[in-house]
Amino acid sequence: MLSPRTWQNLVGELRQSPLAKLGVSLFIVILGMAIFAPFLAPHNPNVQHLDQKLLPPVGLSRVTTTTTTQMVNGSVTTITERTQINATWTYPLGTDPLGRDMLSRVLYGARTSMLVGVLGTALATLIGAPIGLIAGYYGGLVDDTLMRFADIMLAFPSLVLAISLVGLFGRIAVTVPDPWVVFNIASATMPATFTLPGMVILVIGLVNWVWIARVARGEALSIVEAEYIKAARSYGTSDIRIMTRHVLPNALTPILILATILVAANILLESSLAYLGFSGTTLSWGFDISQGQQYLATSWWITTLPGVGIVIAVMGVNLIGDWLRDALDPGIEGESEGGL
Amino acid sequence: MGYSRFLLKRASQGVVVIWGVVTVVFTLRYITPGSPVTFIAPLDASQALREEIAMEYGLNRPLYVQYIEYVVGLLPPNIDMGQSFAAGTSVSSQVFAALPRSLELAVAATLVAVALSIPLGVISATNRHEPTDYAATTFSLVGISTPNFWLGLMLTLLLAVQFDIFPTGGMARVNGTPLLLVDALRYLLSGRPQVMLRWLSHITLPAVTLGTYFTALVTRLTRSGMLDELGKQYITALRAKGTPETLVRFRHALKNTLVPIVTVLGLQLGTLIGGAVITERVFAWPGLGSLLIDAINARQWVILQGCLVVVGAGFVIVNTVVDAIYAYLNPEVTV
Repeated sequence: MLSPRTWQNLVGELRQSPLAKLGVSLFIVILGMAIFAPFLAPHNPNVQHLDQKLLPPVGLSRVTTTTTTQMVNGSVTTITERTQINATWTYPLGTDPLGRDMLSRVLYGARTSMLVGVLGTALATLIGAPIGLIAGYYGGLVDDTLMRFADIMLAFPSLVLAISLVGLFGRIAVTVPDPWVVFNIASATMPATFTLPGMVILVIGLVNWVWIARVARGEALSIVEAEYIKAARSYGTSDIRIMTRHVLPNALTPILILATILVAANILLESSLAYLGFSGTTLSWGFDISQGQQYLATSWWITTLPGVGIVIAVMGVNLIGDWLRDALDPGIEGESEGGL
Repeated sequence: MGYSRFLLKRASQGVVVIWGVVTVVFTLRYITPGSPVTFIAPLDASQALREEIAMEYGLNRPLYVQYIEYVVGLLPPNIDMGQSFAAGTSVSSQVFAALPRSLELAVAATLVAVALSIPLGVISATNRHEPTDYAATTFSLVGISTPNFWLGLMLTLLLAVQFDIFPTGGMARVNGTPLLLVDALRYLLSGRPQVMLRWLSHITLPAVTLGTYFTALVTRLTRSGMLDELGKQYITALRAKGTPETLVRFRHALKNTLVPIVTVLGLQLGTLIGGAVITERVFAWPGLGSLLIDAINARQWVILQGCLVVVGAGFVIVNTVVDAIYAYLNPEVTV
């Protein structure tokens, strides 16, 4: 699909741009976490250790005060007891309010983010690219109708539309087996299945296709007037063939660049939905942040750590987007307008 | 095409899109599983009771009648969004009570963003490859990659929990009623500046939280726009003519950079509203976003519809205004 020339541009840009290198490295780290979570995680991220809840990360300790009222020698006394809770290497990054291991949860959270971000964007591209190509290729009434509909969709902010759709249709989740565990490669103590928030993926597709469609349409509009398209038409080549063989390949680069930026936006969208309680899974960075919120004053790590994961993932993908834009599309100067 | 004809065309397009927004919002409720009656009636309600409820709320009439009634009700000056099923209160009154609180937050965030980002972007572009430039680009990279709800919690952790500078959330209140800027100003004029300070202390963290993404984004845009402009020939000509560097930078390069930024900000309005929804949640800010989420959780579809119509129509109106300003500044667009 990619020509040798394209590869050259990509590699050349990667060599000279430290930010592109940083982006690729961050992305590899998060991808590695997502793929190899069952090998890296010290505990099953879903198993609760209620006697070990709210443990601090290694190197820190947490002080709790418990007040008990007792009858001593006929008079009421209040005893305030301060206990220091120390960290243990068993749970390197501490535990959450249910005693689940934070390190394991952060590692597994990468899976949800990556899968939802990538699959949601892929769905948006599958919906948006054909619609945009058709609108741009045929023009006229088809174009007007589709683009007015796109305008209506764009009037709703992604997050608002997404929470409304999830709220209306319900939080549907799909349980998929984890191949590492099913084929006995990873430890059997790790979860054998993984909960994929299917509704979130669907909603991301429905919310984002418009951006892809607009870019595909713009490319189709500019290509359709080219001489070689007219020539192809005069030979009697079918519309579908012209679209898939001639228009689509030319539109691929801008779609790829936009899709990359959308993956970053959708990782943020997924975490926002999970934070607000509109995801179908509880194994998500956004969900952990929301359950840590009420322990912010005493157990800050529950909110802090998953957020670091989100920032790394989004930054990595954003930098890859910049890299692709700089390497593949010298025509675009500066920033892309859409996407978020 | 003249400017007034352009305005007319753009405004009528806007009206069509708003009508589409209303239609989509109305349709959403009827393509979703479960009849509205199910959510109003008690779980063990008899068939007779269900029919009675449907009758009372007019849900037994043909859909097109309900649709026409909804659209007609929405027309100004009434702007009637229907009655909430649970409380039986007017949806419009709830939505329009929440709207100014959200607008205030959004405007404060935009002010933070504009006040910080444009100087940052200019400094960054004029000191390219110097430590200040690297600091500004790093900030904007981190800023666009940080989820705002997490940033809000981190700011709360640092500035409200560790150092007790700001309250952890909520709007400033006087006698239990949320305090808007206009009220705070009135107190200030009547010699009670402490109320104004309370307003300021409550809005600071939410506004910074919501504004950071835009600060980062506009810093990026200003920087790359300025670099673009400063590389152009008219700048070289101006410099050759002996125009002072400050004038070259601000009167010429920055001015030309700002026009496209206004357009991008119009398009990013959706992000601002979406960001406001989640920021309101973090800081327990009783605005439109909180109303919307509560409506979804309580299955109050009529309130949800009202919120969506206001958000959608607001987006279309702002973008139409932005287009009009843009066309005014740049007459080529209207031709």
